[in-house]
Order: sequence, then C-alpha cells, then structure tokens
Amino acid sequence: MKDFVCFENVYKRYQMGEVTINAVDGVSFSIDEGEFAVVVGLSGAGKTTVLNILGGIDQCDEGKILVGGKDISHLGSRDLASYRRYDIGFVFQFYNLIPNLTARENVELATQICRNSMDPDEALDSVGLSERKNNFPSQLSGGEQQRVSIARALAKRPKLLLCDEPTGALDYNTGKTILKLLQTKCSQDGMTVVLITHNSAITPMANRVIRMRSGKVVSNAVNPNPLPIEKIEW
Amino acid sequence: MRAIHKNIIREISRTRSRFISIMAIVALSVGFFSGVKASSPSMIRTGEGYFTDQHLMDFRLISTVGFDEEDVRALAGLDCVEEVMPSYTSNLVITQKNIDTVVSVLALPQKTDYNQTILNEPIVTEGRLPQKNNECVIDKYFYEKLSQYQIGDTITFNTKVQEKDTLDTVSHLTYTIVGVVQTPMYITYQRGNTNLGSGSISFFIFILPEEFRSERYTCVYAKTRAGSEYPSFWDEAYKNGVKEEAKEIEALSRERIRIFNENTLQEAEDALAKAKKEYADGEREAKESIADGEKKLSDGEKEYYDKVLAGEQKLIDGQKELEEGKQKLEDGKKSYQEGIEQAKKQLAEAQQQYSSGLAEYERGKQEYDAEIEKAEKQLSQAENEYQLQYTIFYSATKPQAESKMSLMKTAIDLAQTVVDGLEEKLAHLDRWLPAGGNARETAAQWQKELEEYQKKIEDYQQQYDEGQRQLQEGEAQLLEAGQQLADARQQLTEKKAEGAAALGEAKIKLDEAESKLTIGRLEYDAAVSSGLLELQEAEKKLQSGEKELEEGKKQLETESAKGLAVIKEGRELLLLGKYQAALKLSEGKDQIREAEKKIDQLKDAKWYIYDRTDNPGYANLEEDAQRVDNVATVFPIFFLLVSVLVCLTTMSRMVEERRTEIGTLKALGYSHPAIARKYFVYAAAAAVLGSLIGAVIGIATLPFIILDTYSMMYTLPKTVLVIPWDCLAFSAGTGILCTCLVAVFACYRELKINPATLMRPKAPKPGKRILLEYLTPIWKRMNFTSKVTARNLFRYKARFCMTVVGVAGCTALIVGGMGLKDSISGIADLQYQELTIYDEIYALTRSETAEKKQYLMAQFHEDHRFRESLLAYQSWTTVQFAHNGEKLALHLVIGENREQFEKMFILRDRSTHMPVELTDEGVVITERLAELSQAGVGDDVRFTIGDDYYTCRVSGITENYAGNFIYMTPALYENVTGKELEYNLVFVQVADSAKQDEHTIAYEWMQKEDIMTVSMINDTLVSIQDMLSSLNVIVLVLIICAGMLAIVVLYNLTNINISERVREIATIKVLGFYNLETANYIYRENMVLTLCGACLGLPIGTVFNAFIMRSIQMDMVMFPQFVGPLSYCLGFGLTILFSLLVNAVMYVKMNRISMVESLKSIE
Repeated sequence: MKDFVCFENVYKRYQMGEVTINAVDGVSFSIDEGEFAVVVGLSGAGKTTVLNILGGIDQCDEGKILVGGKDISHLGSRDLASYRRYDIGFVFQFYNLIPNLTARENVELATQICRNSMDPDEALDSVGLSERKNNFPSQLSGGEQQRVSIARALAKRPKLLLCDEPTGALDYNTGKTILKLLQTKCSQDGMTVVLITHNSAITPMANRVIRMRSGKVVSNAVNPNPLPIEKIEW
Repeated sequence: MRAIHKNIIREISRTRSRFISIMAIVALSVGFFSGVKASSPSMIRTGEGYFTDQHLMDFRLISTVGFDEEDVRALAGLDCVEEVMPSYTSNLVITQKNIDTVVSVLALPQKTDYNQTILNEPIVTEGRLPQKNNECVIDKYFYEKLSQYQIGDTITFNTKVQEKDTLDTVSHLTYTIVGVVQTPMYITYQRGNTNLGSGSISFFIFILPEEFRSERYTCVYAKTRAGSEYPSFWDEAYKNGVKEEAKEIEALSRERIRIFNENTLQEAEDALAKAKKEYADGEREAKESIADGEKKLSDGEKEYYDKVLAGEQKLIDGQKELEEGKQKLEDGKKSYQEGIEQAKKQLAEAQQQYSSGLAEYERGKQEYDAEIEKAEKQLSQAENEYQLQYTIFYSATKPQAESKMSLMKTAIDLAQTVVDGLEEKLAHLDRWLPAGGNARETAAQWQKELEEYQKKIEDYQQQYDEGQRQLQEGEAQLLEAGQQLADARQQLTEKKAEGAAALGEAKIKLDEAESKLTIGRLEYDAAVSSGLLELQEAEKKLQSGEKELEEGKKQLETESAKGLAVIKEGRELLLLGKYQAALKLSEGKDQIREAEKKIDQLKDAKWYIYDRTDNPGYANLEEDAQRVDNVATVFPIFFLLVSVLVCLTTMSRMVEERRTEIGTLKALGYSHPAIARKYFVYAAAAAVLGSLIGAVIGIATLPFIILDTYSMMYTLPKTVLVIPWDCLAFSAGTGILCTCLVAVFACYRELKINPATLMRPKAPKPGKRILLEYLTPIWKRMNFTSKVTARNLFRYKARFCMTVVGVAGCTALIVGGMGLKDSISGIADLQYQELTIYDEIYALTRSETAEKKQYLMAQFHEDHRFRESLLAYQSWTTVQFAHNGEKLALHLVIGENREQFEKMFILRDRSTHMPVELTDEGVVITERLAELSQAGVGDDVRFTIGDDYYTCRVSGITENYAGNFIYMTPALYENVTGKELEYNLVFVQVADSAKQDEHTIAYEWMQKEDIMTVSMINDTLVSIQDMLSSLNVIVLVLIICAGMLAIVVLYNLTNINISERVREIATIKVLGFYNLETANYIYRENMVLTLCGACLGLPIGTVFNAFIMRSIQMDMVMFPQFVGPLSYCLGFGLTILFSLLVNAVMYVKMNRISMVESLKSIE
C-alpha cells in the first residue's frame, strides 16, 4: 500500500521562555506499507519528535498525519491510547522493560491489553529468547532486553513498528543482531518498520531513508536494493 | 552563597511535595502530642489561676453548733491560718410545678475583721452583685444550662423547710435576681447533696450576709499558709501541707468545743433541769385535775342513772293503770254490747208483735175494706141496677108505656072515632055510601071494620090497661127495690160503722203499740248512744292516758338523753382535758427531749474540717486532666514511628534520585559530611518547620477544643494556655532527630559506594520472585498489574511498613475514638436497659410503719401503669478495701421481694451472661467494686451499714457499669446487723403504654404523703447523654488526626511510587494503557496496602480503645470495652475514603506525566 504513513506539513513547537522553537518544522513525507524506513539525522534534528508524534506519544501543533488512512493528528488522549494500543509497536532505546516482571510477563503486559495478540511464548521464541523467558530484566543482557522489548512490541501485531535508536545503548555486534532481527521481521512478516538513528551508516539496509536536519526533512529517498545488515560495517 | 547551599534551597523548592510530606508528618506528631499534652496542664493551670484569683479557701469549717466570734478569732489566731471569713449557708427549697428544687443559699463573701481579701470571690458574668436586702445573684451553670430564670426574675422559697420556717433562716422569702455569678467553690455541675427534696442541690444563690438570721456563723472559710506557699493545688506538697494544717485546726476545734461545752452546755443543761421540773409539776397538776374531773363525772353519772330509774318506775305504774283502764273499758264495752243486744232483741220482738199486730190489723182492715167494698159494690150495683131500672122505668118503660098507653088511648080514641065514624056511617049508610058502592057490602065492610075496630079498641084498651097495670106494678116494684136498697144501705152503713169502730179500736191499739215501740226504740237509741258516748269517753280517757304515758316516756327519753349528753360532754371534756394535758405533757416531753437532743448534739459538738478536695468537682478536675494526659501519652510513640518511616522512605528515595549528583560531588572532592549536609539540612528543615507548625497549631487548637469539651462539665474561666515546653521539646526533638538521623543514614548508605558507580544510573532494584509465585495456579491467573503489585509490595519493605503502620494507625485512631464513644454511650443503655431496669424511684417518708408500707405497696401493685414495683432499701455505704485500707462510697441495695428484685436488678456475669444468684449466704458486689477492692467470690468485704462496719462474704460478682452496688437479701441484713430492716424506697418499672405519662404518674404519686421524692431514670439518662455528647469533639479530633495521618502517609507513598516509576508509567502508557489502567497500576498497590493497614488497624484500634478506656477509668464507672460494628465499619470506611482521596489527588499528577520526557534517557 502506498503512503501507509503520511506526514503533511507537520509542525511541533516548544515554547522556551520568549523563544519558540520549531522542533518539527513543516515536515512532510510518506512511507509505504511493508517498508523498512530509517529516519536519520543529528541530535536535535527533530527525528525523535517525529517518531513520538507518529507513535501517538506526542501531538503535533499543526499538520496532518495519516496512518493507514486514519488521521491521528487530532485524536483525543483516549483515542491516542487506543491507537498506541492496537496500531503501534514501540521499541525504546533503553528497552523500558518493567524491572519487576520477567521477560515473559513483560510481553504479557502488551498481549493482555490487545485483541489479536500473539502468544507471548511465540513472540519470545521469534526473537530467540525461548530460554530466558522467566528471567527478570536485570538478569538479561542489553541485547536480550532489547529483544524482549521487540518481542513485546511485535506481540501486539501492530500495524507499525517504531524503533527509537534501538541500538543506541548496545554494543556493535548486539546492535547488528537487533537490526538483523528488525530487518527480518520486516522482510518476512511484511511489517512496516520506522527506525530512528543518528548513525547514517545503517541507511543502506533500509527501503526508504528520510534525512532530517533542524526539524526539516532534507531528503526522502527510496533504496530499491537494501543491503542485508551483515554487509554493512560502521 | 556557596553553590552547595544554593543547591539545598533549590532542592527544597523543587521537591516541595516531598518536603511537605516530611514536614506534615512531623507537624502532625508534634502537634498532636504537644496539643493534647498541653490540655492537661492548661486545665490544671486554668483551675489554679481561677482559685488563686478568686482566693479560694483552703479550708471550709462547719460546726454542728455553729461558730461565734470567739471561735473565729481563735481560728484567725492560728499560725498557719492567714485569713478567715465567717459566713452563712443554708439549704432552702423552692417548689414549682410540684417539683422541689433545693437551693444552696450562701452569704455573699465579704471582707470582715478577719480577712483582707474576699475569699471565694464570685465572678459576676452578667448583671451585678446584690446590694439590697432582697437581691441575689444566681449560679451561672444553672442559669445557662437550665435557664428558667432571667435577671430581674424573683426566686421565692417555700415558707417552710422540713417544719422549719424559712423566715427563721433568712429575712425574705423572695429575692430578685440581679446577676449571674460563678464561684471557685463549685467548678463542676455538682452542687452537693442534701437530705432535702430529691437529695441533691440544684443551684446556689448568693445573698447579703445580713439576710441570715442565725446568731452564730454556720461556716467559716479559711485561707492558710499552704495555699500561698504552694500555688499548685494538686501538688503533693500542697496536699501534705493542708493535711498538717488540718491537724492544727482540729486541735483548735477540740479546745473550742471544750470551751463551748463549759459555757453553752451548762446553760442548756440547767434549762433542761428546770424544764424537767416544770414538766413534772405540770404532770402532777394535770393528773389531779383529771382525777377530780373523773370523780365529778362519775357522780353525775350516778345521779343521772337514779333519776332515769325513777322516771322509768313511774312510767311502768302509769302503764299498769292504763292497762287496767283498758280492761275496764273492754268490759264496759262488752256489757254495753250485751245490753244493746238484749234491747235490740226486745225491740225486735216488740217490733215483731207490732208488726204482726199491724199485719193483722192490716188484714182485718183489708178484709173489712174488702167486705165493705164488696158490700158497697153490691150495694152500688144494686143501686145502679135500681137506678137503671128506675131510670129505664121512668125514662123509657114508663114513658114508653105511657106513650104506648097514650098511643093506645089515641089508638082507642082513633079507633072510637073510626068506630063512631063507621057507626054513623053505618048509621047514615046512605049518606056515606061511596057512589056506586054497594051499600050493603060497604055497610058490611064498614060493619066488619067497625067490629074490627071495636075489637082493636078493646085490644087497645086491654093493652092499655095492661100497660097501666104494668106501670103500676113497675112503680111498685121500684119502690120496693128502693126500699130494699135503702135498707141495704142502712145495713151497710151500720155494718160500716161497726167495722170502722172495730178497726179504729184495733188501730188505736196498734198505734198505741207503735208508739210504744217507737218509744222503746227511742229509748234504745238513747241508751245505745249514751252507752257509746260513755264508752267513747272512756276510750278517750284511755287514749289520753296512753298519750300521757307516751309523753312521759318521751320526756324520760329526752331527759335521759339530755342527761347522757351532759355526761358525754363531761366525759369528752374530760378526755379533751386529758388529751390536752397529754399533748402539753408530750410537748413538754418533746421539748425536753429536743433540749436533751440539743444538749446531746451540743455534747457531740464537732467541727467538720473540709479542704478543697471536698469541694464537688475539685478532685474530678485533676482526674480528668490526668485522663486527658494518659490519652496523650499513647500518641507520640505511634506518631514518631510513622514519621520515622515516612522520613526514611522519603529520604532514601531522595538520596537515590540524587545518586549521580552525590557521585559527581564525591568525584569533585567534596567530603562526605559536606555532601550529607544537604540531606541533613533538608530533613532538619522539614522537621523543624514541621515541629514549629505542628506545635503552634496543636497547642493553639487542641487544648481549647478539649477544654471546651470539659467546660460542659466545669464552670471555669477562660482557658489559660500552658505550653508544655518539655513535651514540646521532647516530641519536636525526637521528630527532628529521627528525621535527620534517617536522612544521614540514607545518605551514608549511598556515600559508601564509589563515585564511578554512583555516576552510572542505579540499576533498578532487581525484580525478585515472591512466595506467591510458587502458588502457580493463583499466580497464573493474575494479570500483570496484580503481579507487579504483588512483587512491588515486597520489594520496598520500609515503604510497606510505613504505609501499613500509618494506615493501620489511622484506622486504629478512628476505631479507638468511635469505640470511646461506643463504650461510654453504651454505659447508659447497658446499665439502665439491661442491668438495673427501673424507671422511677419513689423515696418513702421516713418513720412509716411496715404495715403502711405494705399498704402502699398494694397501691403500687394495683396501679396498672406500673409493670413492676419493688419495695427496697437503699443507702450509701462505705467499703473499706482490705488490701490498702482505702475507702469507696457506694450504694447498698436490698429488695424486699425476690421475684421483683430479679426483674429489676439483673445480676449476671459480664462475659457469660450467666445469672449470679443472690443468696442469704453472702452479698453480690459489682464488678468495678470487685476490681478496686481486689475481692473475689469467697472473699470478705467490709462495709458500713449506718455507722458501723460489718463484714460479709462475697457470693457473686455482677456486671455493672454506672456506680457501684452491694446487693444483699433482707434475711442476710437482719442476720448481719441484728436490726430490723426499714425499707426506704420503691423502685418501679413503668408499663410501656404509660411511658409518655411518666411525669404525670410521678406527679400523682408525689401527692401522697408517704412519698417524699421521685427520681426518674430518664432524667438521669438525658443528663448522661448530654455529657456524652461532649465526647463527639474528642472523637472528631481523633478522626481528623487519623485522616491527616492517613493522607500524609498515603500521599507520601504514592508520591514516591510515582516518582520512582515514572518510566514504568510512561512505558505502559506508550504501550497503550488508558489513564485509568495506568492509575490502577500504581493504585492497586495503594489499595492493597490500605486494606492491609485498615485490617491491621481494626485489632490495633480495639487494643487502643482498651488502652484509652483504661486510662480514663473512674472509681464510680466501669467502662465496657466495647467497639460497635458501626465503629469498625466507619474506621475501615473512612480509611478507604482517605486513601481514595489521596488517589484522586494523585491521579491528576499521574496524568500529567509526559511520555516523551520520561522516555528520552535515563538520567
């Protein structure tokens, strides 16, 4: 599906005393369904804000956002919560696992509120964590935690998987493994993935690369031949 | 300012809610503790200030014989006595709407020769003091609480108080109220007891001392050295000082009484002797005159009886005479009757004779008359016939005959003529011969006719002759008949005359007989009437005789009645005289007895020395203050514990949050104390500020609230606030110290770690498996929120403890407070509806006989408005405890009828409710008494009956709350004392249907002179309930404190939870949790802890309640430790409510958590 995600002239402003900062300054782009999109830019380029707005965590001040044909730019907080609940899977930079719950329970946290969710065990199996299901996050390594986080996001069967610097807190190899997992999920399951990173080195693995600078979209290029992650070095 | 100090200030301003948490809990604990602690000394100080300012006496002396100037002077002369104020008091009665109100009438305190200050000076709260003789000021408490009087109203006393004229006591009956006062003498609503009216004094009034008519002072107030040396009146020092002084005064009293005896007693005894002599004289005189009178009376009686006897004899004679007369009359009547009978007979005979004579005569006359008549008839017939014949003859026959004869003659003449004419014719035939006639034939014819004629003449002649002859014959016959008739008449006449003569003769004879008869009859009549007359006269005489006799009788009667009356009068007079004499004598005797009694009294003259503790309510104030203090003691420990926990969790959290900062500072080279100072100062600032705020608010409010509660029972001036510096210092110090220590402890825990580790974010406390997880079936069914909650609960133990303890404390406070109310308000219901079930008590007039009481009881039983009534004996008794010799005043109750007693006094064990049997073997005592005297079943109790001590075996202990009782059977009483039991009151149960008429019934019964007073339990209940309502304030204070405690603790917990788990909250929000679900994630923990705390609080509250009840216990009251289900519900419910309140407040805060901010990175 064309234009599965569509940003039209989206603004997000922050009032810092006298000064108004446009964190997102008239952003427009679109992503097709099943694409692996990477939003890349330096710190403060507004990419996280874009992701937050897309994920229904934040709201834009102006503009229109369509996800799967649904305008989410003016949803109320409850509708946004439902949108997050049913449509979005979120993978955080710092995993954001509930420390007091085991890996499996962290996945259940998501599945228990969804209608058409995966089996938590299945989800964990799919990220290769069958053995560590009953471990608490503190007993898992960073990559494992991120995999739990991804499993939690995927278990909801979201329309859109949003990843905010998923490798940011991970070492190189673990990061690669995680990216590989995401790429696999996208290519195998047809999941639309939007990934944010400041590392432009990983852009070749994406179907689409959106570059941002100072809250503006600099380029929105489609990569017809994405490379598998193994072939990318940085 | 150094950067590190700026850091402290910023920290405080940035984490206000945390700061406030610590501050609030410290404020709460300090405020509550110091506030309640301040109440007790404030109460005492208020009282003391009041007593000092109003110069409350230290001693009040009352003498059975009063005081004179000498006594007062002697008292003032004592070393220890500083001031003396002689005064007067008296109890008078007002009866309004049939209710007796006893009023204590006091002389207005004034300066006298012996005192420079006015002792017991009253405070005028309204109006002014009395200036004129008939003015008074009235009791403030009474005026305000039961205001039936206004300033300007008048109070009018009964003219008599127990046979004593009121005007002998005071100069006026009516006093105008000019003001309202309070006096340090009475600080509670109690006004003391009396033997008048209902037994308790309702209120007091002050009047000018000149109004009292007593020669001697009735009481003396003294102020002593102890009072001025020890201003703290509840001190042991003061109490001991007073004790010593009391001994001195007592010594003086003995001396004064000795002198009194010498002077006054001697006089009185002389007077008594004189009176006795006079009495003896009077007695003798009276006896003599009575004897005289008796003799006179007996003489008079004798005379009277003689006279009566004589009169009666006369009457009997008269009666006899009368009787004889009667007989005579009877005889006379008889003979008269007989005479009359005879005369009647004779008369009747004569009458008969006469009548037969008359009849004969009548017959004869009749015969005669008949004969005569017949004869005359015949005669007259004959005469008539004759007359007829005669008439016929003369009128018919004779003329007929004569006419015949004349006819004949005529016929003869005619025939002659014819014959002559024929003879001539014949003779002259030729001439007469008709023409043509045949003369021969004519002549023959004529001849023949002549012949015929001739023959006819002859015939005629013959007839004539015969007529003639017949006539003659007829005439002759007539004549003869006439003659005959005349003869017959002659004969008849003769015969008539003859008969008439005979008749006349007979008639004469008859007439004679008749006249004789008439005369006889007349004579008879005369005789009869005269006899009758005589008889009547005799009868009349007899009657008059009878009448006379009757009159005589009557006279005798009246005379004798008169006599009797005179005698009776005499006797009555004598009796009256006797009675009067007896009365006079008994009066004299009474006077003598009274004089003797007075002398006895004088002999037993005694000064009663009362100190302040004898003032009603004086001791209570101290006890009440002590009670408040006891309650206050339990709180600091409790609150301190909670505040330490709150502080610990808060500071730990804070230090954890500032981990990086600590690491940085440490890396920068700051020393540990320098780094820790921030947290120390933070905590100290919060604690100090909290202490200050708490102290100010607590001390400024609680003592006033609590004293205000007590002001319902005490009449005190404005509260004097005493700041309990020691308690304040203690509580604030402990609070601050603990808080700071906790802060430093938490800080140093972190400081031990090296800076590098500190700079890295602290790994969140690892999740741990909890016990519950091993119960797989349950664990599997739980959703993740429950799991998180369960794990969290056990993850932070300090927090868990803090919350549970805090919440439990909240619940316990509410339960304890409500339980306090339940326990106390339960007393009245339990006592008067389950244990001593009577509605009214009728006190009987003293000196009623047993029969009269029985009669009265019958009336009680008959009155259908009473369900039950019980004749009983009740009196005050004093029990002396065996173990410490202390004494306790209580009631002894003895029911006359066992069955009714058991219906009104339920004797039972408190816990088992098994009945306790009252037997002749021993007494049943109430539980509180058993507790105080440490006497169990089988032990002995020593108590007074009247003035003497007796010992009885305890056979049972019964549940009881208000007051203390010893129950006993009449048999045991008589057995123990050897005295006859005199019942003095009646307990009654009013039937349900008559409940609303209770006052009317009481009023009706009060009319009976056997009933002295009535007291109604309902009235008592109402006053108890009024007093209990004051508890509401205490309960409210407790609930407010509890609420604050719960809110602070829960707020703190939630606050920490939220701040600690912002990331978690943000994460689950991102996962699509709705707001409520998110809140639930946090709140579930709150609710579980709240529930745990509340559940734990219920038993703690029960214990707490028991503690409160124990600390406020009194001798006279046993508080049932009873917490109603409603109180538990309320304790639980309110706690939940507070928790929900906190949750509601925090909900807003939680919604404000931005997902974006918290997801960025870990700081």
